[in-house]
Amino acid sequence: MPPFGKVLVANRGEIAVRVMKAIKEMGMKAVAVYSEADKYALHVKYADEAYYIGPPPALESYLNIQAIIDAAEKAHADAVHPGYGFLSENADFAEAVVKAGLTWIGPPVDAMRAIKSKLDGKRIAKQAGVPISPGSDGPVDSLDEALKLAEKIGYPIMVKAAFGGGGTGITRVDNPDQLVEVWERNKRLAYQAFGKADLYIEKAAVNPRHIEFQLIGDRYGNYVVAWERECTIQRRNQKLIEEAPSPALKMEERERMFEPIIKFGQIIHYYTLGTFETVFSDTTREFYFLELNKRLQVEHPITEMIFRIDLVKLQINIAAGEHLPFTQEELNKRVRGHAIEYRINAEDPLNDFTGSSGFITYYKEPTGPGVRVDSGVTLGSYVPPFYDSLISKLIVYGENRAYAIQAGIRALNDYKIGGVRTTIELYKWISQEEDFQKGKFSTAYIAEKREQFLKFLKTKEQMKAALAATLYQRGLLKKITTTSTSVQTQSQTKRSNWKTYGLMQQSSYRVMW
Amino acid sequence: MKLLRVSSELGDNYVMTYDQQNNKDVINFEDNKFEIEYIGPGWREGELLFKINGEVHRVYVDNGFIIIDDETIFKVDKITETPIEQGKSIEDLIRGKEGEILSPMQGRIVQIRVKEGDAVNKGQPLLSIEAMKSETIISAPVGGVVQKIMVKPGQGVKKGDLLLIIK
Repeated sequence: MPPFGKVLVANRGEIAVRVMKAIKEMGMKAVAVYSEADKYALHVKYADEAYYIGPPPALESYLNIQAIIDAAEKAHADAVHPGYGFLSENADFAEAVVKAGLTWIGPPVDAMRAIKSKLDGKRIAKQAGVPISPGSDGPVDSLDEALKLAEKIGYPIMVKAAFGGGGTGITRVDNPDQLVEVWERNKRLAYQAFGKADLYIEKAAVNPRHIEFQLIGDRYGNYVVAWERECTIQRRNQKLIEEAPSPALKMEERERMFEPIIKFGQIIHYYTLGTFETVFSDTTREFYFLELNKRLQVEHPITEMIFRIDLVKLQINIAAGEHLPFTQEELNKRVRGHAIEYRINAEDPLNDFTGSSGFITYYKEPTGPGVRVDSGVTLGSYVPPFYDSLISKLIVYGENRAYAIQAGIRALNDYKIGGVRTTIELYKWISQEEDFQKGKFSTAYIAEKREQFLKFLKTKEQMKAALAATLYQRGLLKKITTTSTSVQTQSQTKRSNWKTYGLMQQSSYRVMW
Repeated sequence: MKLLRVSSELGDNYVMTYDQQNNKDVINFEDNKFEIEYIGPGWREGELLFKINGEVHRVYVDNGFIIIDDETIFKVDKITETPIEQGKSIEDLIRGKEGEILSPMQGRIVQIRVKEGDAVNKGQPLLSIEAMKSETIISAPVGGVVQKIMVKPGQGVKKGDLLLIIK
């Protein structure tokens, strides 16, 4: 008997499709919501029913609580799954879902409120016995106070927005001058993005790894930790490649974290899935708590691959009042092999990862042993400029890390996407790079290797263009518009200027639409 | 020797010199040189074999898409052949005109940080563009005076649109 009749997925893209797959497998109906920009999107086609919720900007559609509740009522849905991002960690939305008489597939509203800001999370982590990095106990009121505290704990420090996520409003500061420079700007950005300007500071770990633990709990107080995911390969504090288990941890180091994480869950009566984010120092072998993410994570498939469980189905069953189907001991016995996830973003790594929107004109997904693709696009899909750039995820599995990397290289070579730029070529380079293969990296990896991969990517792009020119000169390339004159008539906004794009700086931040 | 300009469907533009020497195509970019030799048809239907800088590569041409070694794809939008102007060095021709700042991406103009008539240094932030939930700051690739600003805050731009002119 399926737990619900119909579930509305309050999201878009690959995660909406992924959640709907679980819904369908469980014998339920899946309901999609969509903005004007997503009228023809894959998640809309894949759903059993779809409801229009507003114009392209997310604030008017995917972040519009009332429009989504209205759609759920119109569809006669029984439950709402929020995916990740958008409203997934919004307690007001969860409350509105419950008030509308629907089941919220996520953590209890009170638990969400208890860790609303990252500072609340830090306080509870301390109580649960999780190490936290030195810094302010609460929001820092003034720049003067920040300067004094920074002097005391020592530079480098991190300035962070108390609310929000996805790397927004996080800046590393190496000296007092920089602190003066970023303080007001980060306050403004935090306010713009999250409606609250609270900032706090903490000591920055130098070259840390980003390791997160998967907490799973039911409403009867049972908890397990489905080990960890290594999410160290990042750019702008946003993850690119994740793997499970972490190549850096020993079994006893991993197990050391289970008890305090479960204690944390017990303190706030948290149930469903949660991700306990930490930084880990290779030198001191210490973890420091970052935050508890109250949602299904982008990178959940790698945990699914090594434990052979379906986290979305588990999440739905827990929301329906089921007990956890395994103990920690049983779960530990299930673990096999190694999994890697590559986030396929519509971005240009050659141009500082700027978004690349447009129509997908060529699309061929890899298949075969150890390969899974969670995609939100297909041939002909439009990648709109309004939302984030993740279009699909390539997940590979091998009986050990080396085999998983080999499967990754093969699958990346087989994955072809035309019409938008993607991060695929970059991942091919990373997967064959020596330090990555040895598991020797920190969150600074992308910045440190920048020159090397840029050179590789640029050469590869130029080689393709050179080959195109050769094919053209030899008459092997047909159906191409050609002009053989230096005089070109072009509109003022589309000049024939072939090289002088503006220089892009790396200082970008995430904004809410 | 010819000057060739290849634009891809993604809006990327490549300027190169093209020459044929002893049955080899010699192609020069600003930072790379490629010697390309056509070997002949491959083992599979529709496949062509090329030697690029001494290494053999397999190439398919499919509906305008060029698929190299079954791995990477490239689609040509346009190829233009231009006579080489007298008195200009090859480097100058490849480098193109400086001072016309084009949008490197599709997005929305958030903020313009300079006014017409402002003197700017190389690397100085000019404006910012927002797309896919991140804001990118566009800086001056050359120093000079802002002659004309072609866009307004809030305006949508496509890749390759002219943003402003520095003289």
